[in-house]
Amino acid sequence: MARSVWKGPFVDAYVLKKAEASRDSGRSEVIKIWSRRSTILPQFVGLTFGVYNGKKHVPVNVTEDMIGQKFGEYSPTRTYYGHAADKKAKRK
Amino acid sequence: MGADRIVVGSLAGAFGVRGEVRLKSFCAEPADIALYTPLETAEGRMFRVLVITGQASGALVARIEGVETKEQADALRGTALYASRDRLPGLGEDEFYHADLIGLPVHDTGGAELGRVKAVFDHGAGDLLEVQVAGSSETVLLPFTRETVPTVDLVMGRIVADPPDGVF
Repeated sequence: MARSVWKGPFVDAYVLKKAEASRDSGRSEVIKIWSRRSTILPQFVGLTFGVYNGKKHVPVNVTEDMIGQKFGEYSPTRTYYGHAADKKAKRK
Repeated sequence: MGADRIVVGSLAGAFGVRGEVRLKSFCAEPADIALYTPLETAEGRMFRVLVITGQASGALVARIEGVETKEQADALRGTALYASRDRLPGLGEDEFYHADLIGLPVHDTGGAELGRVKAVFDHGAGDLLEVQVAGSSETVLLPFTRETVPTVDLVMGRIVADPPDGVF
């Protein structure tokens, strides 16, 4: 069953606190969080979170199209290296 | 710049009894492997023609030059296929092949070596460089953005990174 709308999106309180502190400081830093279950809110856009995957903090640069998803979706818990072949990376 | 040739696929034995092969493609678009012919094995055997004829579970089905029977196809099981780096198409601005980035040394803005690129990932929130920290078995992940990685010099073979606080 989906979460009731009246409750609003779930976010661990410490994530909100850390995000606010980082925004106020204006420094370029990775905000380390362990809360994979927290929802990505509009006020997180532009910040970079280090989302724990059980081993390390994976940098997640929050953009508008990620709002409403959970942090854990961008920090996989398994690593597959594969072959480079013709795969491309784009610097944003 | 990376190696002169890169692995683009491997042969996984025969498909059927008429000399077709099961082909595992490592390309971003699996069928693109046919565009990179001629393909070469590690021993130097050249396949000038590769025609994709269908799909099997987890692999493509293809017909390759010089392989006419099931026995010949089975003998090639496990063979890696290499393409020349020059066969890859050109790239747009700020686009890089993983093959070119992997292995490059990463320096900080002061010139000190931080490590070497081990892998490139994309988990849906932009590309990430996995950097093997110099003198350590540890790896760190760097967001592949202009802010964090201001310089990628493939000619000189180096990357300059300005990692955010708390990464290294």
